[in-house]
Amino acid sequence: MSDPMQAEQAHHGLQAQSDWGWLKDWRASAWSQFAATPWPTRKTEAWKYTPLKSMLGTEWSLSEQPGSATGTVFADWDRTVITLVDGKVTDHGALPEGVSVQLLSKATAEQRARFEQRLAKTLAGDQLFTTFNQALLAEAVWIEVAPETVLEKPLHINQVLSPNANGRAVPVRVMLDLGSRSQMTLVETFASESDGPVFINPVTEIDVGDSAKLTHYHLLLETGDVRHLGSLQAVLRAHSQMNSFHMALGGVLKRKDIVVRHCGSGAHLQLNGVYLPKGKEHVDYHTTLEHEVPHGTSNEVFRGIIGDDAKAVFNGRIHIHKDAQKTLAELSNKNLLTSHRAEINTKPELEIYADDVKCAHGATVAQLDKGSLFYFLSRGISRQEAEVMMSFGFINELLEALDDDPVKRLLRPLLASLFAKEDDLAGHLL
Amino acid sequence: MSENIDQYLKSEYSAGWITDIESLTIPPGLNEDVIRLISAKKQEPEWMLEWRLKAYRAWLDMKEPEWAHVVYPKPDFQALSYYSSPKSMEDGPQSLDEVDPELLRTYEKLGIPVHEQEVLAGVAVDMVFDSVSVGTTFRQKLKDAGVIFCPISEAVHEYPELVQKYLGSVVPQKDNFYAALNSAVFSDGSFVYIPKGVRCPMELSTYFRINEAKTGQFERTLIIADERSQVSYLEGCTAPMRDENQLHAAVVELVALDDADIKYSTVQNWYPGDAQGKGGIYNFVTKRGIAHTRAKISWTQVETGSAVTWKYPSCILKGDDSIGEFYSVALTSNYQQADTGTKMIHLGKNTRSTIIAKGISAKHSSNSYRGLVKMNPGAEGARNYTQCDSLLIGDQCGAHTFPYIESKNPTAVVEHEATTSKVSDDQMFLCQQRGIDAEKAVSMIVNGFCKDVFRELPMEFAVEAGKLLEVSLEGAVG
Amino acid sequence: MLNINDLHARVEDTAILHGLNLEVKPGEVHAIMGPNGAGKSTLGNVLSGRPGYEVTGGTVTYKGQNLLELEAEERARAGIFLAFQYPVEIPGVSNMEFLKASVDAIRSARGEEAMSSMDFIKLAREKCKAVDLPADFLKRGVNEGFSGGEKKRNELLQMMLLEPSLCILDETDSGLDIDALQVVARGVNELRSPDRGIIVVTHYQRLLDYIVPDYVHVLAKGRIVKSGGRELALELEKHGYSWIDEEVA
Ligand SMILES: Nc1ncnc2c1ncn2[C@@H]1O[C@H](COP(=O)(O)OP(=O)(O)OP(=O)(O)O)[C@@H](O)[C@H]1O
Ligand SMILES: [Mg+2]
Repeated sequence: MSDPMQAEQAHHGLQAQSDWGWLKDWRASAWSQFAATPWPTRKTEAWKYTPLKSMLGTEWSLSEQPGSATGTVFADWDRTVITLVDGKVTDHGALPEGVSVQLLSKATAEQRARFEQRLAKTLAGDQLFTTFNQALLAEAVWIEVAPETVLEKPLHINQVLSPNANGRAVPVRVMLDLGSRSQMTLVETFASESDGPVFINPVTEIDVGDSAKLTHYHLLLETGDVRHLGSLQAVLRAHSQMNSFHMALGGVLKRKDIVVRHCGSGAHLQLNGVYLPKGKEHVDYHTTLEHEVPHGTSNEVFRGIIGDDAKAVFNGRIHIHKDAQKTLAELSNKNLLTSHRAEINTKPELEIYADDVKCAHGATVAQLDKGSLFYFLSRGISRQEAEVMMSFGFINELLEALDDDPVKRLLRPLLASLFAKEDDLAGHLL
Repeated sequence: MSENIDQYLKSEYSAGWITDIESLTIPPGLNEDVIRLISAKKQEPEWMLEWRLKAYRAWLDMKEPEWAHVVYPKPDFQALSYYSSPKSMEDGPQSLDEVDPELLRTYEKLGIPVHEQEVLAGVAVDMVFDSVSVGTTFRQKLKDAGVIFCPISEAVHEYPELVQKYLGSVVPQKDNFYAALNSAVFSDGSFVYIPKGVRCPMELSTYFRINEAKTGQFERTLIIADERSQVSYLEGCTAPMRDENQLHAAVVELVALDDADIKYSTVQNWYPGDAQGKGGIYNFVTKRGIAHTRAKISWTQVETGSAVTWKYPSCILKGDDSIGEFYSVALTSNYQQADTGTKMIHLGKNTRSTIIAKGISAKHSSNSYRGLVKMNPGAEGARNYTQCDSLLIGDQCGAHTFPYIESKNPTAVVEHEATTSKVSDDQMFLCQQRGIDAEKAVSMIVNGFCKDVFRELPMEFAVEAGKLLEVSLEGAVG
Repeated sequence: MLNINDLHARVEDTAILHGLNLEVKPGEVHAIMGPNGAGKSTLGNVLSGRPGYEVTGGTVTYKGQNLLELEAEERARAGIFLAFQYPVEIPGVSNMEFLKASVDAIRSARGEEAMSSMDFIKLAREKCKAVDLPADFLKRGVNEGFSGGEKKRNELLQMMLLEPSLCILDETDSGLDIDALQVVARGVNELRSPDRGIIVVTHYQRLLDYIVPDYVHVLAKGRIVKSGGRELALELEKHGYSWIDEEVA
């Protein structure tokens, strides 16, 4: 057995604390699977462009207690919030009607039985760090939304790492089951106040029930010495809709594996995302759309701006199964490199086994458009500012497509400050 | 609509007969002695043997690649024979007049001009039969222009400096599993050298024929276009219908020196296996060219044959302002599997590449495009445009696209687009409503789909390619 | 204010302007007409400093300085405005952001104070009304999905906000319905003033019914081949350009 991440101690420590036999077996099986998996190298297709050396050299441990965090990122707006600090739930606002939340760490005997069923039919795929999450899982937040419920306020899962998280691995699982015809907005944010090496390892599982409608944000806002390796699995039931927006800023290494399965026909997915690595950061999005049934539609747009010495990886796979006739699926990935040392590796993939479908993908790596640049200049705007405005516009196109809601208003200034190194350049972005 | 097409079309591989000729085939198996034997049969100099042995030793440590989207029983490399030659060719190359007429008839039957006075007199042909070249036409006329066009086995003797300098310079011996195998056991193939400033006076072509059972064909082609020269080269491939799979592992190397222009076209029609997926050629080929300053390399391929195809004709755009092109039609039917595409490696400034790939899958086949566009840090102002389209015919087949894009230069521009669709009922209806029968309609639509690629083929090939598609598609509409 | 002397210019490898002369004094309105491909847009692009246009000979003086030495944004700040024949779409950048950035840059170059956002929005709304564009166009991406006519009005809107001293309108009237044409004319006439020069490139004499030019020039094969008063436009309307060809030849 190999343990390149030196996490075996943490796993055994966790096991020792629990009297829940089923859970322990579940974690143990994941640990043996993880330990038996050869550590990825450049030759491992799924990790070809994303080296994991920054995961090594730290003996990862789990937090016992949440540290204290100020939690100022993405705060102060009208929502129902569940806050986790260092993977422990610290704040759990009053829940609206139709919503129930259960915590793995506090499950009653009766709840344990239900948890066992839910965890056993895990939607999660076979991803290395999803397995790791299972092996070290101390907390899961399971949200159930009753059929027909329409939530006015967004539900915000606010995950923060405190300064105490230094050297910690923080595996957390969020499960959301949306009843049929329900509607809601889920906002997941990740932030870090730690200044040492931290490893956040979240797994989100979403089941969008028949004709339900979910607006979803998954925002990786951590900066500093952070590794974020996580996954999102979603299942779309018949005629459901999911609009999922992703963003990755900062950090040493970020990788998100997104798998969305069309399991009921007539569902629609809009999957958008932006990645903006700079400095020596590395961001990797691996997305897979599984069209398993007929009449599904998917539209995916990811854009990235890669600066300085940063690297980005995008892999967008569309898989149309044999029976998924009449599928419409499209993917677009556009990238801007803004430095001679920056790097992008992109691979849109189509794998198609049904003939009566329309699928397309496109990927580009380019510079800012020269014609547009001249338009700015001809109006007296400086080249520098024009470049900032155009880069921002390149990303903002995706923000504009969001429903008009508070998230958009919170994101804009965040992005604006990111684009303009000097304040006056950001002047016209607000 | 579809059933009636199915009824009155049936699939037929027209090149599937066997030439009844006495061959000398060495016993199956591969070891250093076999390599020594091949080398001895060709009376090769010591350096050539050493080169082969080096490749063989490297090969022993290599693994067969697994990453392609194809599934097949791995060949048993000890069960294959690595050398087979018509008995009449035992004594080495002969002049055309002395070649066994039965052999020449093989090529005539395939529609290949073997006599210099024939209609397609503008094309010089090298004929490779199993492991040997049986004849090359127009050698004198080419020689007058300074062009060298001969079997590579002959070039090893006649032009050792050129061969030593360039053989393995683009595809090194250890490049990959099949290239290493080829380097160890290659038997014959064509050698071309176009001197400085010369525009080759005619099309050059090689026809490869596998005849003998239980043999592999390992041909090796090396084309060197010196500064400011220009050449267009065509390659065609066929094999008899046999129930066992046969291995074809070729290596093609192109060297385009400054301002040279090489156009390389392939019509690959190896035996694809029968309708149940039995038999057919495993076509595992490494083709690569290197383009120096302002040079241009253009690959065009029409791939309709083979049971399994694994092939990525590539360009290393080393010189500033060099150009790489890849135009491909890959059609799979029955149980064929193809994993094909290209690599464009941009090293020089302002290098440009264009990739147009059309995949057509029918019946139970699987057709993948796999490509790499790489912009190195030095590729200032480089550009790539890629368009990959797949057409599905029937609901049992698969069409896949795996394009890798790697960019390390902010001034380089890469654009990739891919679509997948089927021959739509609307298109079919329109054709039929205008009185065009279904068979014709499909072939028209598919031909239209491939137009951008056919345009790149030399005239006589374009017609042949269109016909080939039609034949390959027979019975596919379902 | 603008003095073009024997201007030669090329795009990529094609020479397009072959010795063009033109003088525009403050307060004057010049109309330039000419067949497709004559070089009219090229002239506008060269004057506004579009990359890719190379001046191979001649001089251009603007307000006493060598215009050709200035960068595109410096020319804009010096008061040169080009209304594009084909306005560029910039998705993701809102019209409002763009206009504010532009007005701020130009005001600050003139030594004027920056406008407050409130004042600016008010002004922009007002000008929108003047060019008959609904105010919600300010929120949309620059020219993104605008119709042909809307793009042209958006150009005019920018011009009215920036108050340039030399306006070059490249076929701002093409593709406009008759009402829009009057809107454009009204806008231009409003800007007409003793210290401002205006160059109007057009194919249609009917625009000149509304914007009465002081001079009409015919640009053909990269040069001004004929100049005259308004009546020249009427002649052209009647006889086409072949008439000029004959006369010049
Ligand atoms: N980027 C370019 N590359 C090559 N030729 C160009 C380029 N841009 C313009 N041209 C050519 O220059 C000539 C002049 O173009 P220009 O746009 O100035 O004409 P114009 O007088 O404005 O015509 P129109 O009335 O149609 O607008 C045309 O022949 C055009 O094709
Ligand atoms: Mg014009």
